[in-house]
Amino acid sequence: MVTLDLASLTVREVNEQLREFGAEGEDVYISNPDARHHIGVGLTDAITVHVDGSAGYFCAGLSDQAHFKVAHNVGWGVGDNMYSGSVVVGGNSGAIPGVAIRGAEIVIHGNMGSRAGQVMKAGTLCCVGNANFMAGYMMYGGRIIILGDSGERVGEDMSAGEIFVGGQIQDLGSDAMIGDTESSEEEEIRAFLDRYEISFKGSFTKVVNAGKKLRYGSSEEQMRSLPFTVFSGQSDYWNTKVQEDIHIKSNSGRYRIRGYGGARPLPHLSDLAFRRDLSSAGKVVDVVNRVTMETQIGGINGANPLKLSMPVMIAPMSYGALSRSTKQAVAMASAMSGIAENTGEGGMSDAQRDAAGQLIFQCLGGRLGWNIHDMRRADGLEIYISQGAKPGLGGQLMAKKVTKELAEIRGIPQGIDLRSPSRHPDILGADDLVIKVEEVREATGYKLPVSVKLGAGRVRDDIKIAVKDGFDFIELDGMQGSTGAGGAEIMEYVGIPTLAAIVEAVNALDDIGRRKDIELVLMGGLRDGIDAVKALCLGADAAAFGTSAIIAGGCIACMQCHVGQCVTGIATQDPDHEARYNPQVEAKNIHRFLERVRWQIAAITDALGYDDVRQLGRDDLVALTREAAAITGLPYQPEARKPSRFLRVAVA
Amino acid sequence: MCGIAGIMYKGNEDIFDTGEALIRMLDGCQHRGPDSTGFALYGEANPGELKLRFFLGTASDSETVIGTIRQRLLALKAVILDESEIGDNYRVTVRYVGDVQKLAYEMEHTAKVISIGTSLEIVKDVGSAHEVDDRYAVHNYRGTHGLGHVRLATESDVKPEASHPFWATGFADVAIVHNGQITNYWKMRRRLEQRGFEFTTDNDSELIAVYLADKLAQGSDLNTALEASIDDLDGTFSFLVSTEDQIGYAKDRLAAKPMILYQDDDLVAVASEEVSLNRLFPGRSLNTREPAPGTYATWSRLT
Repeated sequence: MVTLDLASLTVREVNEQLREFGAEGEDVYISNPDARHHIGVGLTDAITVHVDGSAGYFCAGLSDQAHFKVAHNVGWGVGDNMYSGSVVVGGNSGAIPGVAIRGAEIVIHGNMGSRAGQVMKAGTLCCVGNANFMAGYMMYGGRIIILGDSGERVGEDMSAGEIFVGGQIQDLGSDAMIGDTESSEEEEIRAFLDRYEISFKGSFTKVVNAGKKLRYGSSEEQMRSLPFTVFSGQSDYWNTKVQEDIHIKSNSGRYRIRGYGGARPLPHLSDLAFRRDLSSAGKVVDVVNRVTMETQIGGINGANPLKLSMPVMIAPMSYGALSRSTKQAVAMASAMSGIAENTGEGGMSDAQRDAAGQLIFQCLGGRLGWNIHDMRRADGLEIYISQGAKPGLGGQLMAKKVTKELAEIRGIPQGIDLRSPSRHPDILGADDLVIKVEEVREATGYKLPVSVKLGAGRVRDDIKIAVKDGFDFIELDGMQGSTGAGGAEIMEYVGIPTLAAIVEAVNALDDIGRRKDIELVLMGGLRDGIDAVKALCLGADAAAFGTSAIIAGGCIACMQCHVGQCVTGIATQDPDHEARYNPQVEAKNIHRFLERVRWQIAAITDALGYDDVRQLGRDDLVALTREAAAITGLPYQPEARKPSRFLRVAVA
Repeated sequence: MCGIAGIMYKGNEDIFDTGEALIRMLDGCQHRGPDSTGFALYGEANPGELKLRFFLGTASDSETVIGTIRQRLLALKAVILDESEIGDNYRVTVRYVGDVQKLAYEMEHTAKVISIGTSLEIVKDVGSAHEVDDRYAVHNYRGTHGLGHVRLATESDVKPEASHPFWATGFADVAIVHNGQITNYWKMRRRLEQRGFEFTTDNDSELIAVYLADKLAQGSDLNTALEASIDDLDGTFSFLVSTEDQIGYAKDRLAAKPMILYQDDDLVAVASEEVSLNRLFPGRSLNTREPAPGTYATWSRLT
């Protein structure tokens, strides 16, 4: 056993040494911890770490196999996302002990703070003392043992798993009920307590999910799908879409859920035009080689940047909303075009990892598929706060799509209507987010760029927080972004249009003089290279495509993504439907689309008189509508020419 | 968007080290708020005397501002006993026997008041705990109790006047530090404004300060005022309040914002994170506790 002294070493140095000693199988003793954060984060070797005192936030977070013995207290999120191994805490724990664990054993000898075991999937969290407010909040599986009192609202919105309470049950949470404790369960608990040398003579009351909220009470009537143009409606009043909405609600008695993006006309990049005459654009042969488009994203604070062959990446879309084959095809296409792919929610598959050249791994509030091993094989990390299509809300995945395989990857029960948490257990403000970002960086050795995905809402404030919290880049997602499933009214009426979002974001950075301290990737209904160039002119460093890539790969825009019976095999988990999708063929289709995007970016940049996309600026744009002029502050020039006919032909 | 800290020494005057203790605690949680740092410090009170602090800013016309303040004080029959410029502040001690609220509002209309108190002085500025200490010599304060705050600003500017602690405008000696967000801010503010109170910022923390001070002025004790605040204030909050001879905390019912507490025979210390408390006792394991959701408590100076 070796000793590392936190009175003379930084946490980062201690964690680096822990990994080295871990590889050698040497146990470690940490002296003078003084409640510092992130002790043992990212340790994935089966050694024992003794912490001689109190540890701060995320002790043993994002670890696997290691054993931790903390002599005194721990702060928030002890054992965060742990896969296996154990943590024994001699004193009290702060809030969310055992958050998102997927198999570890965590024992708290004192009392534990609120929301213990939030979004845990498997493993055991045991508290010898009393639990606080909402123990087992949104847990998806595993076991919580509380030898003292339960605290208020125990089992609030739990989906599965068991909570055994030795003391008083103060108050049951929403959708929780008392179940019968099987004798085998009691024997297993006794064996667990024996293993950790905890004596307890009393009996247990078991709290389980009551099953009233796992599925929507009624299903939506299947309607004949309306073409998008009809769906969008020419009139705001009693058009076909409005009638359909009313029919569906009168049948189901609840809000409507559907896939795809908003259908309402909103100010968008198409309301801008280029100031200069672009009639020559597209005439130059080999224009792609005349313009410098290589773009690095994420290296601004010293991490290894994403190296993009053009200022374009794939927007986050989940395996779950989309089929495995579709994710694979998008990944292949991104590699062929030399850009980055994004896992979205729901974990990383081997096929996707192998196919993608560069892959961003997304971390969401439910931590569905988030884990240290896949973090380490990613090329970038992303903390999702919200998305443009439904800012402030979590993802939805209807039961039809929550198959056995998908449920296993996410660590959730099969066949529930999954409503992902709308917020992170450990990010309740910009101050918590600082500590979370640091945990993620510690776990990956400060090598990977870390981004934040923001659905455009309170853009001005959020962007400032993002830059102050030390992110490497921001993925800003406007209201025209699509989603696999969301409340119809939310998609139509909640959010900030992409055009307004990028303008506000750039203004926010200028406000605080930090434009050069962070990079911006814009997404949310970007359709082609023309939109991408406009985004770059307005100040984005790169543009991301989601829906357009899916359409390139065969999507027919029927807006039934949520149903799970996608006729093209894209938005489905049904093997029969997925069999219709040929990832090799569709990857080439998506790749060809991306190459057209590249050509458009080059052709416009060249026609504007530049040889590098970084020379594009606001002065290259005018507004075609009064709304767009008001939003962007660009000159209102409705007479400005449309882009060259050549550009349009090239897209078709 | 911040970290908070508070300390009260109980008896033995030899160990009073409020300024230094708060600097260390805030340095320990500076990661929660790198933009600005502030302190509410309580020094010796002399009967009939008030300490006033004003922001001068970096303006070149500070002499004009000070001149205006002097004239106004004179008009209000406040006799200047002592005055100095420290950092960006103008600090003045006056003899004054009138209504403090009237004095406060008059001075608010004249200049940017930071704090008014018989013993309270608020020091706050942009920068870290150590940077603010370098400018204002916070470590020299050896009073019985005090509060501290580190802030991550989201407004357009990182302005010293938007940083914490907040003085309960119009009420001597009441200060607050707050982590969280009050969602019924405007409703509560209009209610207080209708009763004649003035607000100098749009910051929800100032509201908590005025709300509590109003309760105290109406005769509530601090415990009763804090108990009422948990019902009346909506949102997420962990806040600390200090008066001439007490400190206290209140925490919202959702426990969304962290708070940890340490107490022994000599002192009570409260902070956002245990790492701040450990700065007072390096190398020691502390018996701390996390206050439960929806609770409050107070501590009084032993006199």
